Amino acid sequence: MGEVTKAKLEAIRNLDLSAVENIQRALENLSKLNPRINAFIGPNPDAIAQAEAIDKKLNRGEHVGKLAGLAIGIKSNINVKGLRATCASKTLEDYVSTYDAEVIKRILNEDGIIIGMTNMDEFACGSSGETSAFGATDNPAASGYIPGGSSSGSAAATAASMCDLSLGSDTAGSIRNPASHCGIVGVKPTYGLVPRQGLIDLAMSFDQIGPFAPDVYGAALLLEVIAGFNPNECVMLNVKGVSYSEELGADLKGMRIGTSPKFRELTDPKIMGVIDSAVEKLQDLGAEIIEVKLPHLEKGLPAYYLIMSVEFFSATRKFDGRKYGKRIEDVCGDEVLRRILRGGYISRKEYRGKYYQRALQVRTIIREELIAALEKADVIVGPTVPKLPHKLGTSLTPMEMYAYDYLTAPTNLASICGGVIKAGKVDGIPVGLQVQGKMLGEGEMFRVLRAFEAVS
Amino acid sequence: MKMLIGFEVHQQIATERKMYCDSPTNYQDVPPNTNVCPICTGMPGSKPMPPNERAVNAAIEIALLFGCKVITGEPIYIQRKHYDYPDLPSGYQRTSLPIGINGELQGVRIREVHMEEDPGQYDPTLGTVDYNRSGVPLVEIVTEPDMHSPEEARRFLRQLVRVLEYSGKVRPEAGGAMRTDTNISLEGGGRVEVKNINSVKGAYRAIKFEIIRQKSKLERGESVTRETRAFLESQKITISMRVKELEEDYRYIPDPDIFPLIIDKARVEAIRASMVEPPYLREQRLVEQYGIDSTAASVIVSERELADLFEAVAKEIDPKLAATWFRTKLKKVLNYMKLRAADVKFTPEHIVGLLQMVDDCEITPEQGELVLRQLVKHPNDPRNILQELGLERIKPEELRAAINGVVSANPDAVRDYQAGREEALHFLAGKVMKLTHGRADARKIIELLRTKIMGEK
Repeated sequence: MGEVTKAKLEAIRNLDLSAVENIQRALENLSKLNPRINAFIGPNPDAIAQAEAIDKKLNRGEHVGKLAGLAIGIKSNINVKGLRATCASKTLEDYVSTYDAEVIKRILNEDGIIIGMTNMDEFACGSSGETSAFGATDNPAASGYIPGGSSSGSAAATAASMCDLSLGSDTAGSIRNPASHCGIVGVKPTYGLVPRQGLIDLAMSFDQIGPFAPDVYGAALLLEVIAGFNPNECVMLNVKGVSYSEELGADLKGMRIGTSPKFRELTDPKIMGVIDSAVEKLQDLGAEIIEVKLPHLEKGLPAYYLIMSVEFFSATRKFDGRKYGKRIEDVCGDEVLRRILRGGYISRKEYRGKYYQRALQVRTIIREELIAALEKADVIVGPTVPKLPHKLGTSLTPMEMYAYDYLTAPTNLASICGGVIKAGKVDGIPVGLQVQGKMLGEGEMFRVLRAFEAVS
Repeated sequence: MKMLIGFEVHQQIATERKMYCDSPTNYQDVPPNTNVCPICTGMPGSKPMPPNERAVNAAIEIALLFGCKVITGEPIYIQRKHYDYPDLPSGYQRTSLPIGINGELQGVRIREVHMEEDPGQYDPTLGTVDYNRSGVPLVEIVTEPDMHSPEEARRFLRQLVRVLEYSGKVRPEAGGAMRTDTNISLEGGGRVEVKNINSVKGAYRAIKFEIIRQKSKLERGESVTRETRAFLESQKITISMRVKELEEDYRYIPDPDIFPLIIDKARVEAIRASMVEPPYLREQRLVEQYGIDSTAASVIVSERELADLFEAVAKEIDPKLAATWFRTKLKKVLNYMKLRAADVKFTPEHIVGLLQMVDDCEITPEQGELVLRQLVKHPNDPRNILQELGLERIKPEELRAAINGVVSANPDAVRDYQAGREEALHFLAGKVMKLTHGRADARKIIELLRTKIMGEK
């Protein structure tokens, strides 16, 4: 398993499949499935023309980039010049990007083709894909259930082959959660590895752009294209020329893999069943399984929601309806408004010490805890989402919705990396195994993901 | 009545690029909204570039010029100050924590020096915003309330602007690049902050107005409430903006998109080693080094380029003579022509040549001034200018001829002088000067006239 992306790239490079044909196939899938799935909310009218240009290069035997001819879906909070970056919100429904995000420049430079903008929870505020102003997205792997969120459209589009690869953004699980529910590979990179220039903020100190792919190779390839230092922004790690796709071994000998009893406490037993057998497989592959302690893990979630709300309040002050779009508070959905009001409230001078500062202290504790655990273990594996996705349209309280993020938010609090791969199914719904790695531990994380993929 | 006055002075740092992006800063020279990019207009998804190093260095230098301790080896956070106004593209302004603290200037304590970014320019009448200025780096200097009269405050502010301009790191005050808030409180009243002042003159007027307003309130037995007021330049009055209870909460948070600044000691020392000598220190040094009086030294250091010129000249010629000329004649000519020393094109050698001729009594000081005026307009060798102006020293026979002519043409005046009326001699001297177009020294004319009329003694 897991050779889809590589096989397609080879077919395109060997002229067995033209880029135009590939794009047309994706567009056929899109027109057939999108009315039901609602994964794309803004197709790129230039996709075929871009594919023709790449075919010309291929036919002339010229050098082509790493992503030559692949159809790539982009979450609607990433700027692609000339396309709408709506954030699936009424606020920005008419906002056409005036510039390319740094990751888009890098994808275009490697001859990837942007096939369109994908649906998402409004301003990435949600874990189900249902808060979009453009309607909810269906789960291609379990119809009638939420695909997860907030990168709902990017995950669903890749799962339904409406595109080859896609980009999402992950602030507390927004890539890993839908990857788990849709049964594909999704990666939240180490904070500071991927440029954020051009990503519309949810919470600046957590947001990272990352890849979705049907296989580990595709995710590794797309990440190595978008990763690396960008001198035109501040908060980046000084990392250049990363390479993951060529280093995907299948062997886990000598690797120490951590699990925590905390995961079992917080997770649906049926899901844990799938995860337990996945861990056994990793052991069979030669890994040493060790136990790590994460005593405060569940405190990460409230800390995250406080810090995120303050940052989101700050980030949305520009949506005042003066320069473009509509004033956010006037047109946004309930969850966006809830976060803005919460952020504005707890950042008031008189409450600083009570909420925001304390949340930052918890963040430090969680970070130290995870980093200490990752000194003992090379990676930590466990479930991605503690419960199964609900049926579309079910009414949840905010706390029930937030509870989806218990196991993914700590990764962002600690600035480390995390990847998800399908481990099995419960009641016909995919369940993802989450592999968390050290800061810049993407190489080890991919190694585990690939080894697991090879035997699934 | 006891009063306390303090300032918060903002001035634009003179860099070519903005604080967090590569857009140029010459916002006044270009059409609206042309020096902009997604970053300084706060387009969705844009992130700041790393802080402009030159601007940070300028702020460090300014902190050092005010004798501040520069914060080294620990994070200096760039904060977001949130408020809602059309000129603010992101809904917050970036402002740093102090770069330097605990300085002093003219006995006034400087609490801190930090950095900010300028917002755009909003025109409430047209409802338009020009973002060309948005993101231009600013330095803010905050004083303690250590001034006790409007005059003292004005003196201090003038000196502060002089030091800033001396550094060469800021845009000149005259161009509207300086904005100041001032706080004024009288004994028994609340502290009032006045915003929207953009010149030294404006600050003086605002303070004067406030003192009268507050004083009369207190005298009537009313209380002076703690509030923020705006200065209306055109009417020279202040009006209330908001009272303390309604003061905005800026919800400061460290900007998650920018690493905090960390300044190391070596960087500070490198800046200190190459920084400009502040005017108050230079004034002292000029007095000691060249033996000139402090009035002249104070005038000379009023502009950095003037002081540079003086020091170049003083190396070649009697510094006291040079100082007198700089304080009186040169400053007078520059003021008259509305020029700054930075604008003049002549060289120190030109001035040295001119003063040499005066010192050797080749020309009179009055002639010297005429040459100087020409020198400022069209720099040239002073001897050539002398010739052009027809001011070469008059030949003795020509002067004698002129004297003979005047004496014989004015027998009445000659008689009066012989009768002991000294003024008559001055009248005759004036006639001679007119005839010789001022080329002869007045003292020499008097002497020759006296000899001519009264005979050799």
